[in-house]
Amino acid sequence: MRIVHYINQFFAGVGGEEAAGAPLEEKEGAVGPGRLLEQLMGGDAQVVSTLVCGDNHAVENQDAVVAAVVEKVRAAKADLFVAGPCFEAGRYGMISGAACVAVEAELGIPAMTGMHVENPGVDLYREGLYIVDSGKSAAEMKGVMGKIVAIAQKRLKGEPIGKPGEAGYLARGLILDAFVEKKAGHRLVDMLMAKVAGEPFETEMPVSSFQATPMPAAIKDISKSKVMIITDGGLVPRGNPDKIVGMAATTWGTYSIEGRDHLKGKDYEISHGGYDQRFVEQDPDRLVPLDALRELEREGAIGELHNEFISTSGLANPLSNTRRMGKEMVEKVRAEGVNAVILTST
Amino acid sequence: MELTIVRHQVTDIQFGGETRLEGDCLVINADDLCAHLLEDDRLVGADLEIVHPGEDTRAGSVFDIIEPRAKAPGGSPDFPGILGEVATAGQGTTHILEGAAVTVLNEMSAAERGGRQDRILEMSGPASEHSHYATLHHLILVSRTREELAPHVRMNAGRLASVKAAVYLARAGMGEEPASSETYGLVGPAVAGHEGLPRVAYVGQIYSRQRSPEVDEQIVYGVNTNGMMPLLLHPNEWLDGAIVPAYVLSLGGQETYFYQNHPVIIDLYRRHWARELNFVGTVATIAATDNDDRDRNCHASANFVKWGLGADAAVLTKFGGGVPHMDMAVTANILESKGVNTAVMVSDMSGDRRVESALLFNFPDVDAVVYCGGDDTKWTLPEAGRAIAGDAVTARTLAAVREVGAASVVGVTNQQGATHIQSVIY
Repeated sequence: MRIVHYINQFFAGVGGEEAAGAPLEEKEGAVGPGRLLEQLMGGDAQVVSTLVCGDNHAVENQDAVVAAVVEKVRAAKADLFVAGPCFEAGRYGMISGAACVAVEAELGIPAMTGMHVENPGVDLYREGLYIVDSGKSAAEMKGVMGKIVAIAQKRLKGEPIGKPGEAGYLARGLILDAFVEKKAGHRLVDMLMAKVAGEPFETEMPVSSFQATPMPAAIKDISKSKVMIITDGGLVPRGNPDKIVGMAATTWGTYSIEGRDHLKGKDYEISHGGYDQRFVEQDPDRLVPLDALRELEREGAIGELHNEFISTSGLANPLSNTRRMGKEMVEKVRAEGVNAVILTST
Repeated sequence: MELTIVRHQVTDIQFGGETRLEGDCLVINADDLCAHLLEDDRLVGADLEIVHPGEDTRAGSVFDIIEPRAKAPGGSPDFPGILGEVATAGQGTTHILEGAAVTVLNEMSAAERGGRQDRILEMSGPASEHSHYATLHHLILVSRTREELAPHVRMNAGRLASVKAAVYLARAGMGEEPASSETYGLVGPAVAGHEGLPRVAYVGQIYSRQRSPEVDEQIVYGVNTNGMMPLLLHPNEWLDGAIVPAYVLSLGGQETYFYQNHPVIIDLYRRHWARELNFVGTVATIAATDNDDRDRNCHASANFVKWGLGADAAVLTKFGGGVPHMDMAVTANILESKGVNTAVMVSDMSGDRRVESALLFNFPDVDAVVYCGGDDTKWTLPEAGRAIAGDAVTARTLAAVREVGAASVVGVTNQQGATHIQSVIY
């Protein structure tokens, strides 16, 4: 069992903040917490190489450092890669997370790290990794390394890892279905009764917390603006030329409205199964209000209506998808010189 | 309001001379049942098959599953508004054939009837282990209607045939010595005897208006929910034929069987009897098509719970996908703002199995969430020895080896609370 261990300058005993600019260096055998790692892994496990890098150098040259780490792990013919644990050290967490993701993706071996839940590396990398919940204190090194080793061994043997709280890793935010003895209806009343009694209960689905989207600055003069319509109501030209799927769409389309004053139902169809479509089928202007905007354009209330609209289906569309599509649409909007967008939904 | 449920145990079903209950064996005279169903002149025939637990059999696509139940004279009618006259369901004595089911298959393909999702009944193999329906003896029914009729008329005829068959079978239990009986009733906001216990209500969605129902679709007391606002219902009305599912099954699964054996309502009754809580009543509601309707319905539901039933706490379930999900959460949030504790039952709406997309709401007080299944678990089903299909499209593929998700096997996922699926966040 060959292990490569990544640690920062502090845990390698090179120095504190004054040594944070130290470049990546490879040392033979275990260094610092690596000795504990080797001991806890037991058997024939051996830390064959320790990679040490100053935290500033690592984050300032992240791509190069990560690539070098991957190559050194490959050259060492490692079976397992461990970075940290990093506790509260943010730069250490970020480079460890990035290195673990790259090692797993490129070499296909398990990579493990540990961080405090508030370490910025957690938000960036928790979904793709098993990050052991290290708490804040490096004094807990032994217990934390023990959890890293326990999960690493399960992964090396292909055994199930278990729930985050039980195995000691930070929830990755992914859902699995399991079959249990109690019916959902019974569990529902169980949970309510615990809540009523003020007793602790464990929700089966954590309440999402979404990042607040700041209100954009107001448009100074809409009468000089170029306006565009974007809808997630799934309105597409008849025949659905871009084959936008009606549920969890991964693509969006751009459709010309040039020279038209309103949209006719016979020219369009709806690729969206989540709402009663009849009223939009009768008159697509109800979803893409071309008629009203043309009037405003003629009156001079808006500067200009962009001669295309963008459409996709918002039905059951996960955030991972919509974030990407949103970014793509922004590029299009910017390229067209549009400075005001009306979003219509269903 | 009191409802006595008289249970007759059924451990076998056979076709035979006279329809009767012979010990634990239900004997069905197929000709007699068909003649009864064909009194409706929209029908030209009815296919009947018997299926037992553990059999190497697959059937689809499932329109509905109904427990054979029949009302004794003197009580409320059978399926009021569909089969019987409109009167308040849930009163008197109901004979049930426990262990039996009438499983009705669609005679039209999904395309013909405007449906999206097809479900199968799987009687053996890996998927069947997680469905209560695989433990039952089924009479499979496909009603054959006149093809020149409009699809909604054909489905209306199928609905009538389904409840007629269920009542016809259960009448065999009348006059026989029952295995057990149980009386449901004496619950309500003004019923004495449970003072000091938490007053708990149930708010259940019975339809989502995302799909416009057919003009003759019978969902609650024989009507299609057009113009409906939330209804205050006695729990017995749910159990005794007031509500049936829509023609087109939505995400998640709902069957008449689990209205009759409603997991949440039965659980609340049991805890009421055990003096853990005071079951004060229920509200039936729908998911809306627009924001104004949503607000009207959610406030009205919450007001029934808070002011009509005087509840301290409520459990909520949904019908279908994303819009119902939000309507349920908004109702729960309004209730929380009125000081009523809530727990809600959700299905997975994420699509990508990520928690961030699963809930669709972020009301901090709506924090007690039970999960009733998504489509994550997949099975590769073996070739079925016997396949019973209702329509020609299904018949072509039903028996073959196929991969199915949990949501496609009837009884595995269920929004009425019968599922054993739970989410694990990892």
